[in-house]
Amino acid sequence: MAAKYENAVKKPGALSPRVKWLRDYYFEGTHRKWNNEYNPYTTGTPWDTQFDELTYYIVPETYTFLPTFTQSFKQISQVVPVDGDFWKKSLVERKADFTKKCVVERLPMEILPGDLLCGARFNMMYSMCLTKAQQKERDKLVKEARKSMLFLFDHGYGNSGATSGHLIPDYKKIIEKGFKAEYEYLELLYNQLTNAERKGPKGAQLRAMMTACTMPKELAEKYSAYCKQQAEKCTDPKRRQELLVMAANTAKVPWNGAENFYEAVQSLWLTHMLVMSDEKYPGPGVSFGRIDQYLYPYYQKSIEDGMSEDFMKEILGCFWFHCNTAYDAQIRVGGNQGITAGFGQLLTLSGMGKNGEDMTNDLTYLFLDVIDDMSPILEPKPNVRLHKGSPEKLLNKVVDMISTSQGAPFLLNFDERSMAGMMREAQYFGDKIDLDNVCEYAPVGCLENTMVGNDRSGTVDNNLNLLKALELVYANGKDMMPYEDKMGGKPSKLTQDGPQTGELRDLDTWDKFWDAYCTQTKYIIQKMVDNYELSESIRAKFNPTPYLSTLVTGCAEKGLDVTQGGAEISFVTMEGVTFATTVDSLLAVKYLVYDNKECTLEELVKALRANWEGYEVLQAKAQFRAPKYGRDDDEADAMAQRVMKMWSDEVWSHETKCTHRRFRPGMLSWNYWIGSSYILHASANGRKNPQFLSNAICPSNGADINGPTSNANSVGTALGGKSEHGDYGKYVNYLPNGASHTITFNTSLIRDPAHKEKFKSFLKGYIENGGTALQINILDPDVLRDAQAHPQDYRHLLVRITGYNAYFVSVGKELQDEIIARESHKGY
Amino acid sequence: MKVLDIQRMSTEDGPGLRTTVFFKGCPLSCTWCHNPESISPKSHVEWLGVRCIGCRTCEAVCPQKGIRLDETGVHTSEKCTACGACTTACPTQALEMKGKDYAVDALFDAVMKDRAYWGEAGGVTLSGGEVTLQWKEALDLLKKLKAAGVHTAVDTCGLTQQSVFEALLPYTDLFLYDLKLFDDDAHRRFTGQSNALIFSNFAFLTAQGARIWVRTPIIPGATDTDDNIRGLATLVQNKVEKWELCAFNNLCRDKYERLGRDWDFKAAGLIEKETMEHLTALAIAAGAQSTVWSGATARTED
Repeated sequence: MAAKYENAVKKPGALSPRVKWLRDYYFEGTHRKWNNEYNPYTTGTPWDTQFDELTYYIVPETYTFLPTFTQSFKQISQVVPVDGDFWKKSLVERKADFTKKCVVERLPMEILPGDLLCGARFNMMYSMCLTKAQQKERDKLVKEARKSMLFLFDHGYGNSGATSGHLIPDYKKIIEKGFKAEYEYLELLYNQLTNAERKGPKGAQLRAMMTACTMPKELAEKYSAYCKQQAEKCTDPKRRQELLVMAANTAKVPWNGAENFYEAVQSLWLTHMLVMSDEKYPGPGVSFGRIDQYLYPYYQKSIEDGMSEDFMKEILGCFWFHCNTAYDAQIRVGGNQGITAGFGQLLTLSGMGKNGEDMTNDLTYLFLDVIDDMSPILEPKPNVRLHKGSPEKLLNKVVDMISTSQGAPFLLNFDERSMAGMMREAQYFGDKIDLDNVCEYAPVGCLENTMVGNDRSGTVDNNLNLLKALELVYANGKDMMPYEDKMGGKPSKLTQDGPQTGELRDLDTWDKFWDAYCTQTKYIIQKMVDNYELSESIRAKFNPTPYLSTLVTGCAEKGLDVTQGGAEISFVTMEGVTFATTVDSLLAVKYLVYDNKECTLEELVKALRANWEGYEVLQAKAQFRAPKYGRDDDEADAMAQRVMKMWSDEVWSHETKCTHRRFRPGMLSWNYWIGSSYILHASANGRKNPQFLSNAICPSNGADINGPTSNANSVGTALGGKSEHGDYGKYVNYLPNGASHTITFNTSLIRDPAHKEKFKSFLKGYIENGGTALQINILDPDVLRDAQAHPQDYRHLLVRITGYNAYFVSVGKELQDEIIARESHKGY
Repeated sequence: MKVLDIQRMSTEDGPGLRTTVFFKGCPLSCTWCHNPESISPKSHVEWLGVRCIGCRTCEAVCPQKGIRLDETGVHTSEKCTACGACTTACPTQALEMKGKDYAVDALFDAVMKDRAYWGEAGGVTLSGGEVTLQWKEALDLLKKLKAAGVHTAVDTCGLTQQSVFEALLPYTDLFLYDLKLFDDDAHRRFTGQSNALIFSNFAFLTAQGARIWVRTPIIPGATDTDDNIRGLATLVQNKVEKWELCAFNNLCRDKYERLGRDWDFKAAGLIEKETMEHLTALAIAAGAQSTVWSGATARTED
């Protein structure tokens, strides 16, 4: 990096020596001597496998590695001998026994220098614990599921698979009462079962969950003994004392309830890390929920007892370090942080209470300080909830933090719009979500809203390219063009996959075209639902997670594992991808073919098949003359809302057969909008393959020509806007899961206190008019350089310096350089 | 009324977050003008070369034969009536119509879309060009905005009849008032008009107790002299809430090129930060205590 840009990258704040050491050590990555790489364990049967490829069906970049992963874990797994009666037990009990055995007896036990929290290694890849017959059956089913999933992906429908994480376990109850209370509760339920029930799956499930409850107990006790040992050896009296406190903490929690802040964080960490052990896929959306709320009583108690906030920050600094070690799982794949940066142990701060009151407290600010001091760092991912009653002090802090980072170090969640979505969902679980408790919602993973402690809604399990429906319309239910098989290089055959919605010449009115589009949308949703059934039923049959089930209300009561739909609130989410590209394509078809008769539908589809080559004038009209979503244009946004209502209504009508989980709609695109842009053909909005598709609910690149406020208004309208009969107050929200929205701002907007006030004003407006969640990026000089190189992608990038305003790409190179240099220095 | 542009989420046209309406047409013709496309009261067609794909649709659709593409770009001739045929047909929007007609109600609806973002401090600013050239329509708009409880600001060069300000005053919460040159000869030379009326209107508004932010562009070789700032300070004194000295910037060179016009300041560099600080101190010392400066200054670090 050129020296003159150095100030443009945020640096961590003043950290205590121990936290600084841990943070620096983490970033040494593959150079570290210690890491949290997967520890693989097998029962030793020749057919045993460990790696569960189903959890990776939503990660297309791993598809080619799946057989390698499976085989390599088989080869390197250590044998952990099992007892004689092991194979006589039910699968769920075998899993509980084996996981516990690996965690308590096999996982290496270490405490890092200066670390204040016990619980270092947790990434495990352990046996599926299947019998030979079960493994054979599973392998056969997986083969079928893989084939279906690859078809979906290769043909541009998207991806889907039953994956792990993406929920907020009931950490609060463990911190308060410990696993002991949970164990006793399970015992009580078990004793109420009839003999027949005890012999059946219900009994097995409860027994397995009881075993699972003792896993953290025994691990903590082992850590306690280890701390004592280390204390005896330690020559530094201060560190010895620390180790003795750690020994006392782990002797108590998480088996018993915590009584102060330190114990509570220790209890939380051990409980949390074992969820990641249990699921064998660390981090993806195993989230903490409203951490500043449920830790607050312990914070107050410890403040009364005389604990300093600085020490609390040190404890949290250690907590931050451990959350990041989740990435060590695959540390040797893909650089320092493993194959993905997309885990997302999300924590939630602030937000409203039951009566609309604001719940910000001193601990909220403590967390914000820690976030500020630790960032830039990936985990845990913070999310700040804002609402109409958010206090100025919080907003000031939020804006200050945004102004010193390239992108906000947190995601903002907007309560009113989010809660409207949850209330829409309440129609299906009316006794579990109501106006009294909807404020307790929290996001998981990236921004996916769920309830807490009793909800698993598979928030990234299905990712549907909405645009595929249009391709099917263009070819009367077949693929628009053959897809190339990336491995074999052969083009696919064009088969009648979708319904026949008419030859192009017969779609002679806009209404007929719209009907055809709706029919194909219903088909692609059904296709995704059918595909999901395959991996969901395999997981339900072969992959119980009894430990996680102890942390999700409903599983004990129903005697059902969380993988079998045990959670009280149990949805599967379908995330719509390519929304704006689809809406803009519909608008372009309507504008070009039906309203203005610039071309026939046949000519338009011909242009798309040619990737617009030779049709530049028509392409330009599609891009620049047709209306677009994202600029507060009433006609375009009405189309966006129409598409949203149509596809989301359709999603609600489906349910899994094996687990009876209803589908619910959302819009998170993770990175799929980039990957799929190479697969999906040219689109009617003027986009060529492989130009990027649109991201989540964001307008297409360059379409939001009227700035952030109009962009936000369009997003709010697409979600349903406001009405007298809203879902929550006047707010309507078709997407209970929420929708990812990113806006990039100019640095000059937050350059001084007066301008920070203006930015606050924008956030307050967003609460009124915008979406459920917002990621803020601050324009960095690299974007401007990219704009200089690719002016076609940045036609509407406006620069404003006091009285002057102009499109960045329309000013000369020399002046662009001047603006870039100024952005680099934030020098206005 | 003829509007050049509506800018949403404006941060530079008064307090808070605002929507700014740029009216078209200005009675002054300042030689340094940053937005020269706003001077003419008529609509005109502008060509943005980076967008053009050379398809010649404009030539084909022009009923006057008043537009052509040559090796240097697309040019309109005096035959152009700004009828809009080419700007509506241009597939890439390389041709833009500068100046759009609005009815008051439609303009009101357009600006109100951002109401949620204004908060208590922000609102709507009517700017230009010069808004007072279309004061009757502007007054109707201001009345509607005030009736809806919106904070209003008027950004003006001050050159109009006093009666216009009398009419606008009850519906305007804040005036952004430009004072450029104290010396009348210089004022005539650089802006084409005398400053007498501008100064008397300023005196009128201050006497009426209007809330005012004065703005003075600091232009090298024109307004950046000690004498000028000292002179203007005698007018400003402490009669206004803020006096902002705005540093000249040269980013509008391209706009002049697009308009096919030469520009006296095309070679001028940015003002030194020291000059801005010096002039601000001078203004404060001369009794205008609310003086601040803003804008991009020449960089010294590289």
